[in-house]
Amino acid sequence: MKSQVPSRRQFVAQTAALTMAAGFPLIGRAQVKAIKIGVLHPVTGALAFSGSQCRIGAQLAIDDINAAGGIKSLGGAKLEALLGDAQSKPEVGAAEVEKMNEAGVSAIVGAYASAICLATTQAAAKYNIPHVVDVGVADSIVERGLKNTFRFGPGYTTAAHVAMNNLHILNKLAGNVAKSVMIIHEESLFGTGTAQLLARDLPALGFEVKEVVKHANPTRDFNNIVLRMKAVNPDIVIPANYYNEYALLVRTMQQQKFRPKAIYSVLGGAASSFKFLNEFPDAAKDIIDCNHWFNPKDKRALALRKRVEAMKVFFTYEVFCTYTATMLLADAIERARSARREDIVAALAASSFANHFMPYGATRFVNGQNQGAQPLMTQVQGGDIKVIFPKEYKEAEPVFPLPRA
Amino acid sequence: MRELALIVAVLAAFLCAPWLTDSGVVLNFLIMVLFATLLGQAWNILGGYGGQFSFGHAAFFGTGAYAMAVLQTVFAVNPWLALPLAILCGVLVALVIGVLSFRYGLRGSYFALVTLAFAEVLRILANTFDFTGAGVGLQLPLREAAGNMQFADKTGYLYLVLSFVAFGLMLSWWLRHSRYGAWLSAVRDNEASALALGIDALRVKLAAIMLSAALMAAAGAFYLQYFHYIDPHIAYGPAISIEALVGAIVGGLGSVFGPLLGALVLHLLGEATRNLMGDLPGISLVVYGVVLVLIVMFIPRGLSGLFGRRA
Repeated sequence: MKSQVPSRRQFVAQTAALTMAAGFPLIGRAQVKAIKIGVLHPVTGALAFSGSQCRIGAQLAIDDINAAGGIKSLGGAKLEALLGDAQSKPEVGAAEVEKMNEAGVSAIVGAYASAICLATTQAAAKYNIPHVVDVGVADSIVERGLKNTFRFGPGYTTAAHVAMNNLHILNKLAGNVAKSVMIIHEESLFGTGTAQLLARDLPALGFEVKEVVKHANPTRDFNNIVLRMKAVNPDIVIPANYYNEYALLVRTMQQQKFRPKAIYSVLGGAASSFKFLNEFPDAAKDIIDCNHWFNPKDKRALALRKRVEAMKVFFTYEVFCTYTATMLLADAIERARSARREDIVAALAASSFANHFMPYGATRFVNGQNQGAQPLMTQVQGGDIKVIFPKEYKEAEPVFPLPRA
Repeated sequence: MRELALIVAVLAAFLCAPWLTDSGVVLNFLIMVLFATLLGQAWNILGGYGGQFSFGHAAFFGTGAYAMAVLQTVFAVNPWLALPLAILCGVLVALVIGVLSFRYGLRGSYFALVTLAFAEVLRILANTFDFTGAGVGLQLPLREAAGNMQFADKTGYLYLVLSFVAFGLMLSWWLRHSRYGAWLSAVRDNEASALALGIDALRVKLAAIMLSAALMAAAGAFYLQYFHYIDPHIAYGPAISIEALVGAIVGGLGSVFGPLLGALVLHLLGEATRNLMGDLPGISLVVYGVVLVLIVMFIPRGLSGLFGRRA
């Protein structure tokens, strides 16, 4: 009778076969190791709302990329978000970059506010970590020669120039009804920089800048500023400030029944925000804004808006700016076929990312700034935010000047 | 002598840190602890030894930072030369604030409010003038070289801030053992009695605010060199004043090692709560706040009080 006990040779062969069979998936998994992405925003402190919105945008993008099979050129490697909180302070943002570096991130997306972006891009540059700036609009972010820094969206100089040119065209079409402006801006880098540009260049376009008013962050009472506004009586009021102050300013104007020919914002914190529209529909009515905006004719943008709103989250610019910035980064990793930092930096520098819903066309970076980035002009009409300029994205005709109440 | 030996040991420990680790996180943590220590030491001279509680030490910090930035960006002064000038500017601001407030007998909460007001005035001025960059702030051009006080790695920054802290420790030790320190303590404990003993309280307090401002201005200059950017809110905002006084109070008022202990514990606490609370934003700050309240409630003499007589 033949023994049922396997011989030693059989045992070794079977064990080796089993080990190999069991080990193959492990080898397979090792090939598609997750790629760590630092998602760095101010989710606590004064900028907590905007930072949290950015974080949602980044997480949605990462979920979408992973659901679509991850980074295909790396065998379907998944992206893994490493969340960081800058606590609304530049130095904390820089400290978070240090942690992300040691955690082995391949790249960073962030960090919303200009002052924080200045610190985080610089800290990331020390380790050549590619840093995609999602929102920060200060020009200096991409003017320091940092090779690792890339901004997908427009800076405030571009936004201010687009806004001024469009205002000039609007006014001309309306028969030059507006002759004077008053600028109300917040005191930090973004508001001051924008206001300086506007005050310098608007006179050349035929507008008298009657007054430039700076206010602190936070400001809890705009009564005096609006009283001054009534005394100056400008044709157009141009606010450049963050959400809370913007909302309060416009509501105070409404309360004091001051209605200029237009409220014309440049990167207005609340002007093209569905949150503001939902909370204060009357105050938001007819406001024109030159801001980060998606292509309203792109179905992907509309689908994302639906998804975000189903999560009971407002589809603010922070969400879609960070969403698309993360998509840009994923595209670069895909093209780089590598999770190494220097390869991703090179891929970003040579990027021609066009598979997105922002009105920028294919990306082309010069010194880290996407050359096609542009803001769109929106106006609150019929309880929604409509694009009024330029014509290829236009959804509605501009209402300018506003009819007298 | 035991205190001096301890000072040398502490400094040596920090000096050796870059040999023990090359972790950017650890070195950055140590740099930020030393930076907070420097703020606490500055506040401790006036608030701890002198009993003059200030809510506006940012006035000196911001002046040091802005002077350093303006000297480099506008006048192209080398930062090593700009540093003593920036400290001098901070001291001059302290002299003005000191003369105006001490000359008119302001003390207690009145002095605290006046210093807060001065810091706010300076913040508004920095926000207004073009030479301070107004709201845009000032940015240092990136020119990495030790000669430009911009170091390629963190060791250079660690040693720079450590040298300021070493000066602060020696100054604190001197205040504990010198005649001037005794005068300052006398003014703190009972100004009327000190006057009766023939101590010129005004001059003593003026010297204290100027010494305090010198350290604070050095901290401002260091911040600028480390982060390369300054704006009115960072420079003159209340956050810096609060960080300075909280570190000193938690560590122990009027003690040599109090600010260092306070800064170390607060930063460790901040890091621990952030790491333990994971990705839940804000919870770490709540825990941090609760622990801070508990420390102040149950260890009123500060952490250094746990180690016996004002360590």
